[in-house]
Amino acid sequence: MLDAIDKSLLKTVADLEELPKGAYNIRKNGKLLSRHVSANINIETNADETGIIIKIKPGTKNESVHIPVILSQAGLYDVVYNSFIIGDDAEVTIVAGCGIHCGSSEPEGHAGIHEFRVGKRAKVTYVEKHYASGEGRGRRTLNPTTKVFLAEGAHAEMELTQIAGVDEANRVNEAVLGPNSLLLITERVLTDGDQTAVSTNNIVLKGAGSRANMISRSVMKGNSKQTFYALMDAQNKCFGHIECDAIIMDNGTNETMPSLKAGHPDAELTHEASIGKIASDQLTKLMSLGLTYDQAVNRIIQGFLK
Amino acid sequence: MLELKNLYFSVPENGENGGNLRNIIDGINFTFEDGKFYAITGPNGSGKTTLAKLIMGVNPISQGAIIFNSQDISALTITERAKAGIAYSFQQPARFKGITFRDLLKIATGIEDENKLLEILGRVGICPLSFLDKEVDAKLSGGEIKKIELATTIAANPKLAIYDEPDTGIDLWTIGPMVSLLKKELAENHTTTIVVSHNKAFLEAADVVIIINSGRIAYHGNLEGAMPLLDDLSVCTYRDSCEGDRDAGCYR
Repeated sequence: MLDAIDKSLLKTVADLEELPKGAYNIRKNGKLLSRHVSANINIETNADETGIIIKIKPGTKNESVHIPVILSQAGLYDVVYNSFIIGDDAEVTIVAGCGIHCGSSEPEGHAGIHEFRVGKRAKVTYVEKHYASGEGRGRRTLNPTTKVFLAEGAHAEMELTQIAGVDEANRVNEAVLGPNSLLLITERVLTDGDQTAVSTNNIVLKGAGSRANMISRSVMKGNSKQTFYALMDAQNKCFGHIECDAIIMDNGTNETMPSLKAGHPDAELTHEASIGKIASDQLTKLMSLGLTYDQAVNRIIQGFLK
Repeated sequence: MLELKNLYFSVPENGENGGNLRNIIDGINFTFEDGKFYAITGPNGSGKTTLAKLIMGVNPISQGAIIFNSQDISALTITERAKAGIAYSFQQPARFKGITFRDLLKIATGIEDENKLLEILGRVGICPLSFLDKEVDAKLSGGEIKKIELATTIAANPKLAIYDEPDTGIDLWTIGPMVSLLKKELAENHTTTIVVSHNKAFLEAADVVIIINSGRIAYHGNLEGAMPLLDDLSVCTYRDSCEGDRDAGCYR
């Protein structure tokens, strides 16, 4: 069922050596490969057959659902619409990821539009990894869209990572936060060669007491370019923080535009942004501990993107 | 044994390329003997930290040679000098993103074993286990990061340990234990110890006090012999301009 390339992609994007425990939905080359539901987590194909609906029963605790996507078919651009409905008081981990293996000169791509409706007081941890590999020169494109709607008291922690090999990425993250809800987004993007990535983030702090923290860590190697937009739109008493750090190496370039909009007198919004080469004092310290220059660079980047 | 032979470190005057050179280190000859505690002091701008950095290889020497245990290390990189057994504790330790104290200890020593790491913590006098997993980032206090810096310097049992103003940001109550720690390392591991400091506690603990002024060694010997020079206003380089005038506005 899973060939060597599939297994390698699954290991990289979902940390899976074999079929996962609990609920899962594995999509390969635009089609369902394998699905398993659990007592509390149901997965079904949506009415248009353009994606899946994952429903997590209210009160579900300590369960996880894996929904990796793998692509190795030349010329395929796969678009999916997935909805996640997380019931009140549920606590769940959702592991997504898309791995592309490109072995030809034809392009391959995937766009996943994920919409999360997180119920009252529910907690969701969402981990998404994007990765592309293969000796083929075809363009690899990964365009994830993540939309999160948090009900009262809901928590969402999203870890969105683009590891390597993706030629072009248009990443969109949108969120609307209800009262006393919490959203933590950490996005890590590494580009190299002539790759480009654009990340557009729009967080609306709608409910009173809502809190959002967005952290972005980018590394641009080679001649790659990344652009980062983030808007925190405060419409009520709330806390919002954006932290964007970028390390440029070789001929990498970066444009970072954090922005804050306070539409309420009790809004508290902050941002920090930095772009630069790796700090020389960090390199000197690691070299004084015995690492070579290259080892020090790699260790710092590894920690930065962890 | 560390020998500094006719050492010069020059930089362009006023920062221009190809202009006149200014000697920050102006012809230093000195031998540091194994297993001894040296304190280097002197007025601000005298070249103390520059000298320390020359030994570690952070700054390249302009002229002269540095011989460490019979090997000429003048052209060696920081990495190579670290591997030769020289460790350096920075005055303003670097802060990282995503690297913990445990990670730094592993890089310094190769040790991952929890028990062995705890032994190191014990040696340095750091108590809570939870300290190991703290990220060495901008959120750590000055005192915390200094302890981590000390630990990473000592952890690999260096032959020569250089500490650049280790008391910066440390509270009064911690300086005593810090001095004791350096002396204990010296006694147990025969580590040649060089401390750049203005702090009397280190000067008193040292076997040899070295006073640097204008890039040259103005004195080396015991603390008692150094007192006249330490008290003497002539280490001030502006005396010629102000002529000892009380209201010259000098804050020395």
